[in-house]
Amino acid sequence: MSRFFWLIRREIWEHKAIWVAPAIVVACLLLLVVTGNVHLGPIGGMGTDAPLAGFPPETQVKLLLIAYAGLALVVFMVMGIVAFFYSLDSLYADRRDRSVLFWKSLPLSDAETVLSKFAVAAVVIPLVALIAAIIAQLVVAAGGSVKLSMSGMSGGIMWQPEAILGGFMMALLWSITAMLWYAPIVGYLMLASAWAPKGPFLWAVLPPASIFLLERVVLYSRHVGDFITDRLFGLYRLLGSRGERVGDMPDNPAGSDVARKIGEIDLVGDMQDFYTSADLWLGVVAAGLLLAAAMWVRRYRDETA
Amino acid sequence: MTDLIVARGLGKTFGSTRALNDVSFQVGSGRIVGLIGPNGAGKTTAMKALLGLTRFEGSLSVLGLDPYRQRHQLMQDVCFIADVAVLPRWIRVHQLINLVAATHPRFRRDVCEHFLSRSDVKQKSRVKELSKGMVTQLHLALVMAIDAKLLVLDEPTLGLDILMRKQFYETLLNEYFDEQRTILVTTHQVEEIEHILTDLLFIDRGRIVLDASMEDVQESYAQVAVRPEYVAAARTHKPLAERQGLGRTHMLFRGADRAELGRLGEVGVPSVADLFVATIQGARA
Repeated sequence: MSRFFWLIRREIWEHKAIWVAPAIVVACLLLLVVTGNVHLGPIGGMGTDAPLAGFPPETQVKLLLIAYAGLALVVFMVMGIVAFFYSLDSLYADRRDRSVLFWKSLPLSDAETVLSKFAVAAVVIPLVALIAAIIAQLVVAAGGSVKLSMSGMSGGIMWQPEAILGGFMMALLWSITAMLWYAPIVGYLMLASAWAPKGPFLWAVLPPASIFLLERVVLYSRHVGDFITDRLFGLYRLLGSRGERVGDMPDNPAGSDVARKIGEIDLVGDMQDFYTSADLWLGVVAAGLLLAAAMWVRRYRDETA
Repeated sequence: MTDLIVARGLGKTFGSTRALNDVSFQVGSGRIVGLIGPNGAGKTTAMKALLGLTRFEGSLSVLGLDPYRQRHQLMQDVCFIADVAVLPRWIRVHQLINLVAATHPRFRRDVCEHFLSRSDVKQKSRVKELSKGMVTQLHLALVMAIDAKLLVLDEPTLGLDILMRKQFYETLLNEYFDEQRTILVTTHQVEEIEHILTDLLFIDRGRIVLDASMEDVQESYAQVAVRPEYVAAARTHKPLAERQGLGRTHMLFRGADRAELGRLGEVGVPSVADLFVATIQGARA
């Protein structure tokens, strides 16, 4: 097991973006907080006039929760991009610089190598995202409470357990969900990375893109496109908000109608539905198959060619 | 002496090129074998087949294992340097040592650090900051610290200057090699390794054209610096090769009577380079 731990460390040494990217996000946030520019996402400016104060307490909590969730979402999107490029590079970079010949001189099985890289993309990166999201939420909570107390209000609202712990829970939920939902994409990208003679990005993107176009031109349908879009963004359809969009808020945000609408926003969706959906578990099975294929290619790809 | 490597009828085709053609040989333990051939002769393909990195026809056993199917087990006892400068460029020296220590059960960190302490390689440096010579020293230090039964070196000194090449082979011979170990090395700079080799394998156009120990070579081959007046007489002994030297014609003979040759000029042991050129030309003729 300690071998596997070292292999994971190796990946983190090589791919600094795994911790540098979230560190930059948090650093930017910190800068915004220090300079007093915290705008809590969907609430719109929680500035000096603080529209938050006009809402009943439960709506305030809900708005904060939405803000915390929005912060986490930004972190997760950044880490999604990191995971995408990491996966694409994972089994290609060492073939490009020929260091694969060194790695293959160690008594490591190709299955171990591929699994360690998969673990980084599908487990380590979501965990880093979770930690970064929580830090981001704490930074904004601290900044927000200072700002609120400076404008004469109680900063304590930022630390209401339903809001801040709720934000942590959202981040935790997303990290676990992202691990499962995106596992087949990681597997697919790793297979492309193991197989591509050069330019793994094109090898990963061109086949689905050309099948999509071919289907559009020949059959006038878009099942492939729907399938891909669903895998990329269906997570949000399955998990996401069932309520009305916050963007529909009228100019007078303190109106009771708005408070009701905000109260109806469902950030988590139907968890049971999601975790029992065939889409999710078929995806996990597909991830396993794609990973096995990546191992096979890694193992038997002829390095002399 | 047990056979570490037994190859029977190895073959490999790339497109229309026959990279290996019915190659058979065996290598015993405690030997230093030079696999020598011109560019494109099939040296690297043969090495990669031995290391399980490429598919091949025929049968091949390395330490009793099938290298292609059992590569992972094989790497417990086999170490290799394939080409030069294949160490990952982004890694730091101490990270690399930690990683090999964690993944290789036969790696001895103290030995590796001992070798490195004599070089200019700093533990904190990244591989990409090291000179080519230092990268090779690092790679060699890692490999020599692994208690492997078979060490395979494919052009290990390519791109190094003459001092480093000499030092490389001296360290290998004096501080690494012993009766328990076997080294297989490919190179086309034959002059530098001929004094450390115990066996020669010449390969050309995918075929083994010479398979002999150095003792065999010294016994059956002779290089004669023939005096001008005896050139015609010498040619009746069917030299394998001849070239002009300073006032002498150097001829290479195989299996000829030494006393007879002594009358034609000074008899010596041929260099591996001369033998190589003669054998390859003979094989192609």
